Amino acid sequence: MLYKLLLPGPIVDLSEVRVLEWHGSPGTQFNPGDLVVELDTHKAVVEMRASSKTVLRKILVEAGEWQRVGEPLAIVSDSADEPVPERAEDLPQSSATYEMV
Amino acid sequence: MSADPGRTRRVFFREAICRAVGETLDAEPNAIVMGQDVGAFGGSYKEFYGLFERFGPARVRDTPVAEAAMVGLGVGAAAAGLRTLVSITYMDFVLLALDPLVNYAAKARFKTGGQIRVPMVVKLTAGAKGQGVAHSQSLESWLVSVPGLRVVAPSNVADAYGLMRSALQADGPVVYVDHKRLFPTSGALDDSVHEVPFGLAAVCRPGRHASIVTHSYMVCVALAACDQLAVSGIDCEVIDLRSLAPLDLATVCTSVSKTGALLTLEEGQVVCGIGAEIACQVQARLGPVRVMRLGAVPAPVSSNPVLEAATLPNAARVADAVRRLLMEG
Repeated sequence: MLYKLLLPGPIVDLSEVRVLEWHGSPGTQFNPGDLVVELDTHKAVVEMRASSKTVLRKILVEAGEWQRVGEPLAIVSDSADEPVPERAEDLPQSSATYEMV
Repeated sequence: MSADPGRTRRVFFREAICRAVGETLDAEPNAIVMGQDVGAFGGSYKEFYGLFERFGPARVRDTPVAEAAMVGLGVGAAAAGLRTLVSITYMDFVLLALDPLVNYAAKARFKTGGQIRVPMVVKLTAGAKGQGVAHSQSLESWLVSVPGLRVVAPSNVADAYGLMRSALQADGPVVYVDHKRLFPTSGALDDSVHEVPFGLAAVCRPGRHASIVTHSYMVCVALAACDQLAVSGIDCEVIDLRSLAPLDLATVCTSVSKTGALLTLEEGQVVCGIGAEIACQVQARLGPVRVMRLGAVPAPVSSNPVLEAATLPNAARVADAVRRLLMEG
């Protein structure tokens, strides 16, 4: 199954954040609790962690780039062999967790 | 990321401040930062994030909650040869530090015939954002009448950086006023090392019918009001003062000469406010012009968010004030 990894929100006062660092590249497999991506906000770094076994398939917003809250950051999937679509919009939402650090 | 002069990159407001402070700490071994939570925590708004790790606890120093002592230490250390930045998160608490700021920092150069200089920046965060009567005030007008004190208030990322650079190069005390509602903002910042000089206002929206003269977060409110007014064909010019002491009256008067109508706008009180000073000085230079002042209503900023909003200027109130100003003419 393929999913879109959304920039979580709402974040109070904020409409866009910047990707600080991806902790993997297309093909990287994450276990529950693994750090997937760190985001820079106006007052903290936000960590997004995998909540289930997840494969990162396509990064849509590279480190240093900005994205709107609620928009997709990447395409992920349950297994590495599902073909990746061009667009993320129609995919269901991944259930990654996130926390402020 | 490495610097690339000529290139701009988008940063958060806090990052613009942090970059200016970090560059100064890098360039000047005698420069230090002091304040509550400026150390490992990285500043109340993370505007000093990473500096503690880069420069260590001797140069990025956490202090007790004791504003008079913080500014007192800042004045003494600056007079003795350091360059100090003292961060007081809530502007309201600069009241505890007025004695060292007004009676010592601002007067040292005059009292000693120029022998003692106090290169100190006191950074304060003004403005209402849900924190009640004693954590929400905009008191900058209290400070602009002190000889020897310079007061600046950026409204955007580029000026937050450029004015902090200038403040950290000044040879006397500077009060740098930022605003709670500016910290969530972001904007373009040039990679090149540069300053925004004091005493230079910016025309941030050209217009023909009225001049709105303002500073800090109220610039954002004024621009939103302009969008509302433009729908009904009213075209306002917005002047961002940036520097409150010294004031750039030339830019303000050029604008008011063109439009013939002046609305001063501030988040602080109208009585003896920045707008009162602007209105008086503009009319002394230009003669009678249509003038209106807008600021907070004469009441404390409430902890109740509905009442907080009721006390402060917003885009609708600014637009309404401009309409009334133009009707008077």
